[in-house]
Amino acid sequence: MVNVKIDGVDVQVEPNSTILEAAEKAGVHIPILCHDKVLKPFGACRVCLVEVKNNPKLMTACTTPVMDNMEITTKNDKLAKIRKTLIELLLINHPLDCPVCDKGGECTLQDLTYEFGVSQVRFDPKPNDTPVDHTNPFIERDIDRCVLCGRCVRICDEVVNIQAISFQNRGTDTIIGTSFNQPWNCEFCGQCMSVCPVGSLNNRVYLFKNRPWNLQKTESICGLCSCGCSILIDSEDNEVFRIKEDYDLGVNKGLLCVKGRFGFELINNVKREKNSKIKVGEEFKNISIEDAISTASKKLAEIKSKYGSDSIGVVVSSRLTNEEAFLARKLAKDVIGTPYIFSSETDDAMPEGTYADIENADDITVLNIDVTESNPVLGFFIRMTARKNEGGLRVFYPKMTALKRVASEFYTGKPSELLGLINDFADAVEGKSNRCSEAASKLLAANSPVLVFNPYSKADLAVVSRIKKAQPKVKLIPCKLKNNSQGIVDMGCATGADLVDGLGRDKIKALVVLGENIAVNPGYVNLVGVLSKLEFILSTDPYFTETSAISDLYIPVATFAEKSGTFTNFEGRVQTVNPAIDKGLISDFDLLVSLINSLGGKAPDSVDAAQELIRKEISNYSGVDFNGGVVEYPYAVKDVNARYEIVGSGSYELYRCSLRFHSGTFTTWSPDLTKVYKEATIEINPEDAADLNLKDGDLVTVKAGETMKKFYVEIEKYNPRGVVSIPMNYKGTEAILAKGEYQRVELIKHA
Amino acid sequence: MRNIIDTLFFTEILQGLGITFKHLFKKPVTLKYPFEKPIIFDRFRGIHYIKTDEKGNPKCVGCYLCQKVCPAECISIETDAGPNGERLIRKFEIALDRCIYCGFCEEACPKDAIHMGRRFDTVDSNRSKYQVNMGYLVKNYKKGE
Repeated sequence: MVNVKIDGVDVQVEPNSTILEAAEKAGVHIPILCHDKVLKPFGACRVCLVEVKNNPKLMTACTTPVMDNMEITTKNDKLAKIRKTLIELLLINHPLDCPVCDKGGECTLQDLTYEFGVSQVRFDPKPNDTPVDHTNPFIERDIDRCVLCGRCVRICDEVVNIQAISFQNRGTDTIIGTSFNQPWNCEFCGQCMSVCPVGSLNNRVYLFKNRPWNLQKTESICGLCSCGCSILIDSEDNEVFRIKEDYDLGVNKGLLCVKGRFGFELINNVKREKNSKIKVGEEFKNISIEDAISTASKKLAEIKSKYGSDSIGVVVSSRLTNEEAFLARKLAKDVIGTPYIFSSETDDAMPEGTYADIENADDITVLNIDVTESNPVLGFFIRMTARKNEGGLRVFYPKMTALKRVASEFYTGKPSELLGLINDFADAVEGKSNRCSEAASKLLAANSPVLVFNPYSKADLAVVSRIKKAQPKVKLIPCKLKNNSQGIVDMGCATGADLVDGLGRDKIKALVVLGENIAVNPGYVNLVGVLSKLEFILSTDPYFTETSAISDLYIPVATFAEKSGTFTNFEGRVQTVNPAIDKGLISDFDLLVSLINSLGGKAPDSVDAAQELIRKEISNYSGVDFNGGVVEYPYAVKDVNARYEIVGSGSYELYRCSLRFHSGTFTTWSPDLTKVYKEATIEINPEDAADLNLKDGDLVTVKAGETMKKFYVEIEKYNPRGVVSIPMNYKGTEAILAKGEYQRVELIKHA
Repeated sequence: MRNIIDTLFFTEILQGLGITFKHLFKKPVTLKYPFEKPIIFDRFRGIHYIKTDEKGNPKCVGCYLCQKVCPAECISIETDAGPNGERLIRKFEIALDRCIYCGFCEEACPKDAIHMGRRFDTVDSNRSKYQVNMGYLVKNYKKGE
């Protein structure tokens, strides 16, 4: 520890920390413009200049490390004059269009101008006037307003590792631009936009829609994937205007992905149903919510008394909150008394590693999942760590993913070859000597290794359990799919009961489908015919989905922005969701409470009461803080015996890929995300495409056994030859993907 | 005695009538309002108008500053991005019946768009007519009010 004196305040800080960090600890405010906590010190703007005793020159607080007995002055007339001049110099080229600038009201440059009392610029203003760049579908780029702090360039490089933008030219001609002035080649994560201190990079979804001072901020948790990112929902009059990050809040350090940041319009979607609907004959008729609930409970009671309690099944979506999932289980087990409670989740793998484990890892293995697409924020942490460690990242995946820039070992290839390689790797970790021995020895020698994998693939799980046994130090991180994939498992909704089995046995006569879209889930797609024979299906969903269309009663419910409860992310961290808006719809919680009460049970009357019950009844949740606490699990991975299998015949090998724009069917309701990715596309190697005479956007028929399906072509140079991929859980792909995880298919060019 | 005379000859009434008679020949103080227009002083704050640029488009850019400063909360604005990424004003409405004519909006406007006009006759038969929009405010400017 070193002693530092800042503006007369004595403070003890770690050696090698900067003056800025010391000042923060001392409670002294130093103005900053180009500095960002997530990024390395840069020292471009010189706004943070401070005076150090016995030092003839001024020092930048953000880059200068402290020394013992340093005496620092942060405020005096000389510094004030210099800072004021700096801002005046920036304002020469900065257009004063604050009234039309979206940043107005939360602009760092505006704030600094006020802070330093700049009311007039002594120099002749020469505002730039170049056209605004709209080539990026989510980010507006106005280089005139840029102050060249370099935050966007650095976050794109250091955190996202995409290097989509950089400085161009030198001196006064410097601008931020893309290489060769091409359209943005990036992941649209919007990290650059979130750190921009001025209005140079703006959110196009929110563009000009409102002003920051009108917006009400609600801290909540993103409800789109299992990363569990803390978000701020900015809303006015029950409309969500934007979703922002908070750098001091939650586990994600202010990082968000494209769907979390730009996909929020799905909450405001005008196509969302406001009325409950009942099927009369072939048509749907609107009914009031009270009537809908009483009809549902009457029907369920009727079927229960007619066919017995195990004639009713409950399907639980992994988008429900813990409290709702808990009540769903209560409804099924205690009130109806059925053993049939279904979900598409698995309890084979439980959370073990956390974000902190990734940051401290010295060896990361990403096993057969494109984590940058399925769980983008987890992907950022892996990239940051791998970059910091300069290596120690090993990836197995059929194609090169965005991790290629930081990975030290990247194993790609046809699934038929790659899967053998993965098996060899597991063998090598267990001690055999083969082509993967070198990689395995690195994993075995590591002090804090991390293994990231896909918990939904049985064959992957078998490999993971072998590696875990051979190297117990490895922390496992299962890339769960949806916001509460883990929570509904904990609440007892993943009993291993198989919906396909349950329905096949002709026992089930009625289904309560809570938010799950059965009709487009590859695991369930063959059931659609069986479903139509059921006597009663109750479906709840924020949107009128394919499943709602085959149900008898549909009740529209709230999305994550409209309800309170908790989500458990892939780390096993329980975090509180707060309602930001009210669209006048009930939540699944309210519905379940009414159903339980009217069917003769006793439901807790509030979310808090439900949480009390969870603490009592779910043993590993009893001592957990519901606002950020991590749940302890008895095991990380079950012993699974499964082998990789490639089904079907054909000349192309097909695997399931993930998409960062859409995790399934939910985000397709966002008009902005569908603008970029609407129909499921098939990714194909350029040489294969040339063989088949295909271009980007052509239609191609995929033939898997007897099933044929048309897809649009997307040429992907990183896909190996002879390998194609289609996104999983996406509308239109279920019929093909239901056949198996890896399959051989034929491609037929469409005339 | 004097009381009796006053009562008998109605002197006080005559005195009063005298004053009335005197005023008959003076210049009238009141205005016959709908037929005669009053003098409006320079710094009078009446119904708003919005200035236009050389092309005839309203100068207003929809920055929400007038809405923010308005103590009566009578201004409602909705903006959006246009097809070419330009700033569009979807709605700009002032509730004239809620407005207290304080002139803060005029002071807050960074674009010299909204101004307080000289017109004061807000009387109307229907409350909905008090909700005036951008078209009305621009027309006010073009009429020179």
